[in-house]
Amino acid sequence: MTTNAPEPLLALSNVNTFYGQAQVHFDLSITVARGHIVCLLGGNASGKSTTMKIILGLVKPRSGEVMFDGASLIGLTTPQIVRRGISSVPEARRLFADMSVRENILMGAFVRNDRDAVAQDLDKMLTLFPKLGQRLSQRAGSLSGGEQQMVAMARALMSRPRMIVMDEPTMGLSPLYVDRVLELIRTINQEDVSVFMVEQNASLALEIAHEAYVLQTGKIVLSGPARTLKDDPRVRDAYLGGSEAA
Amino acid sequence: MAEQHTMLSLRGLTRRFGGLTAVDAIDLDLAKGELVSIIGPNGAGKTTLFNLVTGLDRPDAGQVSFEGQDITGFSPERLAGQGIARTFQLGRVFGNLSVMDNVLIGAHTRLRAVKPAVPVIGPLLELGLALLRPSSVRDEEARLREEVKTILARFGERLLPRIDQPAYSLSYANRRRVEIARALALRPRLLLLDEPTAGMNPTETAEMQALVAELKAEGLTILLIEHKLEMVMRLSDRVIVMDEGKKIAEGPGEQVRVDPKVIEAYLGHGLSGTAEQESAA
Amino acid sequence: MSSWLDYTINGLIVGNVYALVAVGLALIFGVSRLINFAQGSIYLVGAYIGWVAVVQLHTPLPLTIIVVAVAAALVGLIIERFGLRPLQNSVRIAPLLATIGISFVLDQLVMLTFSPNPRALPSQLPDVRFQVGGGTIGPLDLLIAGVGLTSALLLFVFLRYSKLGWAVRAASQDRDAAMQMGVDVNRVNQAVFGIAAALGGVSGMLVGMYYNQIDTAMSLQATLKGVVAEVVGGAGNVPGAVIGSLLLGLVESYGVAVFGTSYRNLFAFLLLVVVLVLRPNGLFASARQAPPEPLTGTFIAPSRPVPIPRWALLAAAAIFAILPLFPVSFYVLQTLINAWLLGMLALSLTLVAGTIGQVSLGHAALLAIGAYTSALLSLTFSAPVGLAIIGGGLMSAALGTALISPSFRLRGHYVSIATLAIGEIVSLVILNWESVTRGPIGISGIPPLSLFGYELISPTSIYWFSFVVMVTLALLQGRLLSSHLGRSFRAIRDDDIAARAYGLSLNRYKSLAFIFGGFAAGISGGIAAHLYSYINHETFNTQQSILALTVVILGGLGNVVGAIVGAVALVGLPEMFRIAAEYRILIYGIVLLLLVRFRPQGLLGTM
Repeated sequence: MTTNAPEPLLALSNVNTFYGQAQVHFDLSITVARGHIVCLLGGNASGKSTTMKIILGLVKPRSGEVMFDGASLIGLTTPQIVRRGISSVPEARRLFADMSVRENILMGAFVRNDRDAVAQDLDKMLTLFPKLGQRLSQRAGSLSGGEQQMVAMARALMSRPRMIVMDEPTMGLSPLYVDRVLELIRTINQEDVSVFMVEQNASLALEIAHEAYVLQTGKIVLSGPARTLKDDPRVRDAYLGGSEAA
Repeated sequence: MAEQHTMLSLRGLTRRFGGLTAVDAIDLDLAKGELVSIIGPNGAGKTTLFNLVTGLDRPDAGQVSFEGQDITGFSPERLAGQGIARTFQLGRVFGNLSVMDNVLIGAHTRLRAVKPAVPVIGPLLELGLALLRPSSVRDEEARLREEVKTILARFGERLLPRIDQPAYSLSYANRRRVEIARALALRPRLLLLDEPTAGMNPTETAEMQALVAELKAEGLTILLIEHKLEMVMRLSDRVIVMDEGKKIAEGPGEQVRVDPKVIEAYLGHGLSGTAEQESAA
Repeated sequence: MSSWLDYTINGLIVGNVYALVAVGLALIFGVSRLINFAQGSIYLVGAYIGWVAVVQLHTPLPLTIIVVAVAAALVGLIIERFGLRPLQNSVRIAPLLATIGISFVLDQLVMLTFSPNPRALPSQLPDVRFQVGGGTIGPLDLLIAGVGLTSALLLFVFLRYSKLGWAVRAASQDRDAAMQMGVDVNRVNQAVFGIAAALGGVSGMLVGMYYNQIDTAMSLQATLKGVVAEVVGGAGNVPGAVIGSLLLGLVESYGVAVFGTSYRNLFAFLLLVVVLVLRPNGLFASARQAPPEPLTGTFIAPSRPVPIPRWALLAAAAIFAILPLFPVSFYVLQTLINAWLLGMLALSLTLVAGTIGQVSLGHAALLAIGAYTSALLSLTFSAPVGLAIIGGGLMSAALGTALISPSFRLRGHYVSIATLAIGEIVSLVILNWESVTRGPIGISGIPPLSLFGYELISPTSIYWFSFVVMVTLALLQGRLLSSHLGRSFRAIRDDDIAARAYGLSLNRYKSLAFIFGGFAAGISGGIAAHLYSYINHETFNTQQSILALTVVILGGLGNVVGAIVGAVALVGLPEMFRIAAEYRILIYGIVLLLLVRFRPQGLLGTM
């Protein structure tokens, strides 16, 4: 397309990952440009979530490079990576169920030491997610799935990240919340936060993404600008279809 | 007489976890020899439904019957004995057992010579017979080992050369095959397959699809969870769509596929256009 | 009436002490999902540091408490850093085994430094009693209550208001998610181990002062009581641990009031077993939770057994069989007889811990049942010794399996706790059931080994007898493993949920494994009784259970040949190098630690 390609914020190149003797990724290469939303599509067990774990340092690749903002993430621990400016919305939210909503959101600012600014950001979150205002002292585990997703997103924003990685942010949500979540991802992105999201729901993801990759048994089988992929029947065939993608 | 043809029947089956209703009042009938697929987005409650049918989880409400008998709340080992076999979505092979031993475990409920059906002292007899191994026990074991090889042969050269290797050393796809082989060794009357092609590439998926088609042709009753719609459409007599624990649609694949509710829930609004185009084509 | 108040006060004070141990266990379990068996050793270390401070350095009480807390915390930090952190990516059972090894090493170091003799630990407080209602309270009671309340308050403030406290709470609810918030889980672990150790150490010192006596036996008792309190309250639940501790203190105190002192521990362990069976998640957990995540093949390290050619086995057996024909010393034969007896126990344990995955920490109880049965059969009913030993094996198989059966529905670390408790219960029943077991006096004058009327007195004949019995048991076990039962046991170990889905009843096969294993252990105990001619409730103790476990891990879990090789190595090598007895347990602890760290599959590999 005509977009002048901005410099990459995150780049995975030739990543090979193994669980025991089983190979999960085969020479995986993915780029997330600064300020873009990039989604990784694929079926169950295609290696999507593992990709997210590689970026966050929860799983170590056997070979390959992961660069973030010009520096390698290989060998860093998860907390170190978080401090570099990557935050996450994990699969199934993973809130701290027995802590209050307020504590959950503030946990997102764990790496920060500027108390006053953190307090301001908390207020900002409450304007972005107005529903959470009445829920602040409630146990996070008692919220509905959609509300939990809001908390998870607020939590991820609290570290003032340069990039957020999200694992199936719409999974298990009612259609009302799905739209809301997508809207929020756009809003977040407009504040200059890059987004890398893993999704199974191709159409939703392609609506808001700039670029997309399709992962199948650990290999990228299709990639390109989201608006071209959106009308490409190969996308769905690649991971929903049964037979050979054309 | 129609009763006799119903293999599995679910009525109002419900399971709640905390505030979340994972399976919400599901009704389902499965006739003998039928292949019914359950589709729906991740988190829709499909695997929980399988757990309820196979006794690994108990429903909060509702009833499961198998061949006319109420089996709600039966233990998984008892249900296995009745001929219900399943595979697991995440792949639960016995990592330290060889391929042969994994599949032999599948035939466990069919052991007769070494497991006499005697009350109270049955287990002690089993221990004694396992140690003494009279010819009846040896023959049974030899027969089952031959049968395992026949089952493994259905997967071509994928598993046979690895028959003595421990399962942990297998590739992801091969572990899934071992799971299916293990299920077949039970000689199931009802087979539940939980995403048998997850993590498989198109060639492997096509092989698996051919195998499931073969099993169906042999008259096996199958309940299938699958995301790959192509495969679902080709194999299924009926498709059931789940979302948020509820059954939102049911019918022949072609009908379900164009149901706007399904497209909305499962494919999302964006792809609906593509889906329609394709079904028109 | 007044005495009831006294018992209540005593129960609450003792409960306070337990709480200091249990809260630490709960914090550690919360963050690491680990039951720290070294917690009692830290308590022991705390008591002895307190003794050094009070008796040798004459520190005032507040300073004593600070010194003990800081020193114990340091020990905790060292354990976390060097004992457990390297095992983060190991199999689930590894950290548990490591804490057992650490506890043996610490206890032995204390024993070697201070001698096993009890010492007095004066309380430094005036010896007055205040009348309260109908009972009395001393200053030490108040101190213990005060320390308990202060610790609880400090802990609450720490968890609620400090950043590290938040990190601890977050990590204990969802470790991965906490890491994704930037929480350094290693620092959280450090904090938790430091706090747990400080509380445990102070608790040990207070108990030493309370009874004005400290000795090395305190360690295991403290671990056991702490674990009981923690599990009763719900593993990982800090307030639950406090309530569980007070409840345990009261149950014990009332039990003592009604039945007498020797019943104290029996009540504690019965409480544990009842809670584990009825409410394995503790008294305060919601009854029904989501089914556990699948854990496939994570219990033992995947490995293939080292292939040993048949001729090598035959040659080794032949060499050991004809050994007594050569001029070997009595000492060598004696050592090998001990190895064969331990080998039988290891065969039993490698079957239940390795093959079917029930890591039993109370296996010595099976020896005790076999030994008492055989001794009593031959003494009371004049049964021939050979038959009496078989009777011991059968009794151990039957009774042992029945006693352990409540643990069949448990998994992982809970099995270890339950079997440990059941082992203790067996020992306590032997102690208290005087009409049958002769209680603390023990049984003496047990007739020597004999076979078909011929007494086996010479070391050579005893050697042959025990060797043949062990080889026979090993051959039987090998045959068992090659049958359908072998694969069924291993399937249950690797994935009990998948095993059930294929028709394997856990109760049935765990019972069969314990019946077979119980028989081998009972035979070993029976032979030992006739060799020793005297046994009591302490002859077969937890140390032996742990030694057997070390042997089994050394040889490779589930590995029959490995069990025997391990027994010969662990009994034989220390003898060969003439290592003094008091250093041996230290060596066993170190061997266990090194194995868990560097070769979890053992010498010959798991099967």
